[in-house]
Amino acid sequence: MDIETVRKVARVARLRLTPSEELQFAQDLEEVLQYFSLLDEAPQVDTHDFNPVRVADVLRDDEPSRDVNAERLRESMDTYDDLVRGPRLS
Amino acid sequence: MKIGLEIHVQLPTRSKLFCSCPTTADEPNSSVCPTCLGFPGSRPVLNRRALEMAVQIARFLECRVASEIWFSRKTYFYPDLPKHFQITQYDSPVGVDGSFVVGGRSIGIWRVHVEEDPGRIKRVGRSGEEVSLIDYNRSGIPLVEIVTAPDLTSPDEARNFLNELLVELRHIIGTTASDEQSVRADANISLGEERVEVKNVQGLKNLERALKFEASRQQKLLEAGMRVVRETRRFDEERKVTLSAREKELEEDYGYIGEPDLGVYDLSRISAGLLEVETPLRRAQRMSAHYVVDYDKARQVVLTSMAMADLFEALANAVDPEVAMNWTLGPISANWELLLPRMNDQSTKEIVEVVQLVVGRQITDSEGRRRIGAIAMGECPTDISCAVQDEALGSLINDYLNEHPQVVRDHASNPKAANAVIGHVMKVAKGKYNSQEIVEATRKEIERRTS
Amino acid sequence: MSCSPTPERLIQLNERFRIFCEMAEDLSGLQDYPPRPTFSAKDNLCAMGFQARAGSRILEGYRPPFDATPVWRMRQEGMLLLGKTNMDEFGFGTFSTNSGYDVPRNPFDAGRACGGSSGGAAAATSLLEGHVALGVSTGGSISCPASFCGVLGLTPTYGRVSRYGLIDYGNSLDKVGLMTRDSGSLRTWLPVISGPDPKDPTSCVQPMLDLSPRKVERVAVPLEAMQNLGSGVESSFASALKSLQDDHDILVEEVSMPSLKFALSAYYVLATSEASTNLARYCGMRFGVRNSNISQHFNDFFSETRSANFGTEAKRRILLGTYARMVGFRDRYYMKALAVRQLVISEYKRVLNDHDLVLTPTMPFIAPRFADIEKMRPLEAYQADFLTVPPNLAGLPHLSLPCGYIEGMPVGMQAVAPHWEERALLDIAERWTSKFQMRFPEVAR
Repeated sequence: MDIETVRKVARVARLRLTPSEELQFAQDLEEVLQYFSLLDEAPQVDTHDFNPVRVADVLRDDEPSRDVNAERLRESMDTYDDLVRGPRLS
Repeated sequence: MKIGLEIHVQLPTRSKLFCSCPTTADEPNSSVCPTCLGFPGSRPVLNRRALEMAVQIARFLECRVASEIWFSRKTYFYPDLPKHFQITQYDSPVGVDGSFVVGGRSIGIWRVHVEEDPGRIKRVGRSGEEVSLIDYNRSGIPLVEIVTAPDLTSPDEARNFLNELLVELRHIIGTTASDEQSVRADANISLGEERVEVKNVQGLKNLERALKFEASRQQKLLEAGMRVVRETRRFDEERKVTLSAREKELEEDYGYIGEPDLGVYDLSRISAGLLEVETPLRRAQRMSAHYVVDYDKARQVVLTSMAMADLFEALANAVDPEVAMNWTLGPISANWELLLPRMNDQSTKEIVEVVQLVVGRQITDSEGRRRIGAIAMGECPTDISCAVQDEALGSLINDYLNEHPQVVRDHASNPKAANAVIGHVMKVAKGKYNSQEIVEATRKEIERRTS
Repeated sequence: MSCSPTPERLIQLNERFRIFCEMAEDLSGLQDYPPRPTFSAKDNLCAMGFQARAGSRILEGYRPPFDATPVWRMRQEGMLLLGKTNMDEFGFGTFSTNSGYDVPRNPFDAGRACGGSSGGAAAATSLLEGHVALGVSTGGSISCPASFCGVLGLTPTYGRVSRYGLIDYGNSLDKVGLMTRDSGSLRTWLPVISGPDPKDPTSCVQPMLDLSPRKVERVAVPLEAMQNLGSGVESSFASALKSLQDDHDILVEEVSMPSLKFALSAYYVLATSEASTNLARYCGMRFGVRNSNISQHFNDFFSETRSANFGTEAKRRILLGTYARMVGFRDRYYMKALAVRQLVISEYKRVLNDHDLVLTPTMPFIAPRFADIEKMRPLEAYQADFLTVPPNLAGLPHLSLPCGYIEGMPVGMQAVAPHWEERALLDIAERWTSKFQMRFPEVAR
């Protein structure tokens, strides 16, 4: 993975890397991706099995209920009038 | 002009899409739990009803309903999105390739899918330095997204399309009329070659305004020989203009992957358990065709109430549908507020009888109206004591009988004694009432006085 | 279930071997009579009364308002939760050296690693008689430390144990399991933590746990697994196979499983793809570390928190996973890895059709010294998982058993059973440990 790609991926992942980290990750990941190129030899089959065992039709009835107190959850966050404070949008 | 819409409508479930938090809340951040706040260790569990509603909508829009679906994670960073990924459907929508007819034109439906809503952000502070205050009550609210083909040809038609769609959805899934304000849409609009996307317009009125503004903006550019730039714009509700959305600092790469916490869902099984429902506008079309009545009138009936449409159909099966329609939109509609809570098999039967009597000229038009009024009041339609609502006629008869008490006395042995009253009223009222009406009213009044 | 340590002894052991990142404040239950049996939970399992930081600084201060289902089920049985065990940050490691807190030391040689990522769990099991440790495996995080610390490590079928309350690494791979010193404890505690949980849909499709006898008669050893093994491991495993044939009357057959060579790449692609989405939520706003500098733009706010609090390996895996699912690379990596997983599953099915188990060594070497681990490049560390990854990728139940000792350090062998057939693993565990002389570290007071 070249440095430019590392920077781009880091931006998408919201990671700010130091120049030495960029260099290190570029080297590490280049080697890892080289190894992953083995996957090119594997046959491609179209699959949407996202689990190793079949998980199908697990649904919940539309019944409202609460098992954790919302007030308690708010306590762990920085709030103003029960609204959660967040960073600037622009 | 080509317009395509991506419409987001809230599914009216009682609990959220992936957790049991109630969908109603008064205070900010009161209907939240570890799952809809994305706390580590929490997990989603899908609401059956939300999925059923989406299938019903896809079926109604004549989509091909997938036999099996799954969910995907759409990753992006924004303060209103607790997990920083939205659980949505990417490569497996509930339905694809449908259509919806509006004003006789078939508008293509590309896809119907289910997803979770993020929270709501309040911006506080000076412009350019606003911090965000977030209410996560909406986080995890179930939405259905409906994507149309760019088949709409004017802002009017787009508005009309959305309006009619909402009417039908209200009936299919039980949304309320407030969806006219809460519905959100992204609109693609192009007059020339390049299309412009107007993002996140809320409400029916704003959608039309945004599209009208954007259409005329593009029109002016093209007339001036300039190019329309392909871009994303947003609608400023206060100034009623569209503005170029500032280039996002970062072009998002959503990096979709399958959602491994949920598995797959067999929609053919879910679909089989759902009843086909006839929506208001589809019913208007059927009634118009079947009874050969004016579509707009049929539409007016169904939009008033499906119960009124039931009554219309009962009438139309008993008398000439044209007459049935006139009575429905006339006296029945005039009394509808009172009639609606009384509608049942019995009241339907009574109303049908009244109209049949009028059609058979056994009672007058106005007596028919009077009787429907009586049924609306919960009174017996043929009880004169409470029923002589035409006060002028009532007092004419009463005055004469008061002056000529022998008529009441003689009537017991000779019913023809009543003819004197009838002759008098006919003369005085100068044909305002027909004889049938007067005979009936007189007979009722005499019976009342002798009983 | 006897001989609980005194609180003082426990604290002493923890200082020496760095087992726990957080210990119960009240250890008086250890002195009850009869003593209450104890268990521990890997730090990525939520437990009320404790922080749940999954070995990461970014979760500093997160106090989950609920118990993970397996923790809750153990507590319901009257078990005393001693503490949260040290681990690699979010499970990202093979040696527990990528911890945001303490690095556990191997009870047989404190200069060596415990393995990972459930390193603290393995150390606790090895040091505390009668102790049951809840571990979590994504790509071998139970087998590996069990092998390095000389204990039994059972990873059940994917979906057998609820993941509610488990801090996610890779949701399609994570499995909660057990580490014990004896096979009897596995038989006791597996049914306790197993079973459907409406709070985790993937746990709701399992057939009922059946622990009725299933005698192992025929096992397969894939040729592909016998490459790149340390010489001591190779000979220990060979003599274990001989003992299985001679002492236990089990037929050992060599088989070929060519698709195993794809498993490691597919695993790292899937695990990091899922991890990079799971870790997106850590941003300094709602839980864990809080960034109070809200006057900055949200992108800077998020980047600042994440860059300052994720460790190096976490960053590396986030980058790898983000890349593997990006437009342009998604088909080549993420989609391909999904396909390879199905391929590997079919290959195991084929082999397990006429064998009860697939057997390999657990790790290609014994617990390495910390100095040697420092010299390893990331790919080398990933490749150390080549024997534990395939059953994990395939969601198959597996068990690491001590099968020999080299230089005083334990060697493990790993048995893999078909989906939902944990009972075959219990059979081999019981038969093997009935004749094999297990060793436990002698730790002076």
